[in-house]
Amino acid sequence: MLTLSIENLVVRVPDLQQPVLVIDRLDVAAGQHLAVTGGSGSGKSTLLNILSGLERVREGRVLWNASDIAPLSESGRDRWRARNVGLVMQDFHLFPGLTALANVLLPARLAGAADAAILARAHDLLARVGLSRPDQRIETMSRGEMQRVAIARALLRRPGVIIADEPTASLDVESGAAVGDLLLEVAAETRSTLIVASHDPRLVERLDRRLSLAAGRIVADNAASEVAA
Amino acid sequence: MISFVLADLRRLWLGAFVLVLLVALATALGVAVTVQERALRLGSARAADRFDLVVGAAGSETQLVLSSVFLQPSPLPLMPGAVLAKLAADPRVAWAAPVGFGDSFMGYPIIGTTTALVKGTTTGFAEGGLFAHEGEAIVGAAVHLPLGAEIKPMHGTAETGGETHTEIAYRVVGRVKPTGTPWDRAILVPVQAVWHIHGLGHDDHGDHDDDHHAGGEDGDHAADAAHLPAHADGAVAGHDEAGHDADHHEGDHHEAGEHGADDHDEHDHDGDGHHHGHIDPDGALNEVFTDQAPGLPAILVKPKTIADAYRLRQEYRTAGTLAVFPGEVLTRLYGTLGDAKMVLSAVAAGSQALVAAALLLVSVIHVTQRRRQIGALRAFGAPRLAVFGIVWSELFVLVLIGIALGFGGGYLAARLIGDAFTRQTGVILPVEFAAEDGGMALILLAIGMVFAAIPALMAYRQSPAQALRS
Repeated sequence: MLTLSIENLVVRVPDLQQPVLVIDRLDVAAGQHLAVTGGSGSGKSTLLNILSGLERVREGRVLWNASDIAPLSESGRDRWRARNVGLVMQDFHLFPGLTALANVLLPARLAGAADAAILARAHDLLARVGLSRPDQRIETMSRGEMQRVAIARALLRRPGVIIADEPTASLDVESGAAVGDLLLEVAAETRSTLIVASHDPRLVERLDRRLSLAAGRIVADNAASEVAA
Repeated sequence: MISFVLADLRRLWLGAFVLVLLVALATALGVAVTVQERALRLGSARAADRFDLVVGAAGSETQLVLSSVFLQPSPLPLMPGAVLAKLAADPRVAWAAPVGFGDSFMGYPIIGTTTALVKGTTTGFAEGGLFAHEGEAIVGAAVHLPLGAEIKPMHGTAETGGETHTEIAYRVVGRVKPTGTPWDRAILVPVQAVWHIHGLGHDDHGDHDDDHHAGGEDGDHAADAAHLPAHADGAVAGHDEAGHDADHHEGDHHEAGEHGADDHDEHDHDGDGHHHGHIDPDGALNEVFTDQAPGLPAILVKPKTIADAYRLRQEYRTAGTLAVFPGEVLTRLYGTLGDAKMVLSAVAAGSQALVAAALLLVSVIHVTQRRRQIGALRAFGAPRLAVFGIVWSELFVLVLIGIALGFGGGYLAARLIGDAFTRQTGVILPVEFAAEDGGMALILLAIGMVFAAIPALMAYRQSPAQALRS
């Protein structure tokens, strides 16, 4: 479980005068399930990239368990992400030619962290997400099954935070619902902080806290509303 | 990582195959040129190794060696037969053997020579033994004729065509062991038989055939006939006198005429003036040569010592004769060969550079197309170095396979060319790798490693967030 604190975050991109994301303050409690919503270009993906260390923080602070990731180098952020973040993406980003098990294990193997315990956990996770054929090649799976493999991969190294970017967007209603259920269940089971960017109202409304972005700014936060109330 | 690389290569097998093919072809070209050129040098040097000194009439040194050592048919000027007698009697000479050529049978050149040459240049007989009579022949290891086979000599070569002496036949009595030289595909007969067939030479075996030796032919005829052994595709085949070098012709006719006129056997004349003699198949060999011996295109000489070899070469470099060390002539030829190799090597290097450029282009495009995949690897926690390693090793594996196949293919091509060359000339080309080829392989591998690092570096430096957005 990781707590998140963002302070005075400003993200700019070249050739644009206005920043694409400005967050003066945001705190997310450990184990909280946060939904980030907003239209296209609202800054959702930028926020997730900043939170996961994919993009460098140049202005402001992003503290996970009170540790700022802004000063970390590119390689340092890679290592931090590998240890702490489980990523689930809309396009799965699975690697064809490999089995489900090999896909789950790939990042750990590339990081030199795939020991016997990790292998056993990969088998357990695939069983947990409802896949009974770990040796099935990824390209022969349905999209729903692929996203299950992606969730298993995200959970492999017991991340403190699961960050999901539109995890149900490329799935049919039924598969989307099942994947949503699964995400919430495994996050609860592992007590991970869960941050989901989504347009899927059925998934969003099931999360503890909902944050709405527009033009790179937080325009609604139900937690703040509740506090105010 | 290995399973990921292999899965990736399996998935992109067609592109990988084309890359490997390009690298293999470019490498094979360079390897074939290098290995073949070296084999040609070694093979020709080994083929000439057995012949210490070659004496011929003044003319082209290269042509003399090519004709007498490598048995390449070409018109050579003649020198007086007296040169042979003088050399044979020289105390500095272990043996001196005449070489008379110009006839062929089934594509194999028929060489008139002596037992001394056979003994001095071969390692013995695989079957049968030396010729002991005028009508006997021995064959080289690569001549496909059994013992007892009949050989009806044809003027000239199979390519140029010519009249066949149907009335004359040699009988194969021996097969020498392989020598790895053009002599392996030659038919060796007593030189006296060659002279007699062409109506030349003295009658050394007085116990028979007296009626063949009318003698006293006019000098022109004798001179004409004296050329026969020396003109493989001109005089022998068709007596195309116009093809002779005028200076040589004049001088040689004169020389040969002097010696040949008196000794000219009784002979027939065919329509174009060709002289036909006869041989006595059972006639004994006479290998004692006098000043009256017919004109000769070449004499192979085995000096007793190195000092003798140098002295003899000096002495026989006169206005009328030429003496050469075959190795010396070959060294000059290698100079020309080296120039040709340089051109071919430049072509090979050019093709390799083009392939390297194509490889780089393709791999950079490939990395660009895989940006999202590479970004995803980074996003899921793969270290940058691991991403670098994946891209680098994928490309380097292809380069490695290509270079290995190229070396194999180049070697195979050189072997095939070498085998064809051996079948054609008899010279065995030792197609083999040398230590310097290992150096070439290492250089190619080093270049491959550097080239593979360029797209790998691109992948290494790629921002995962930007890659995922692309």
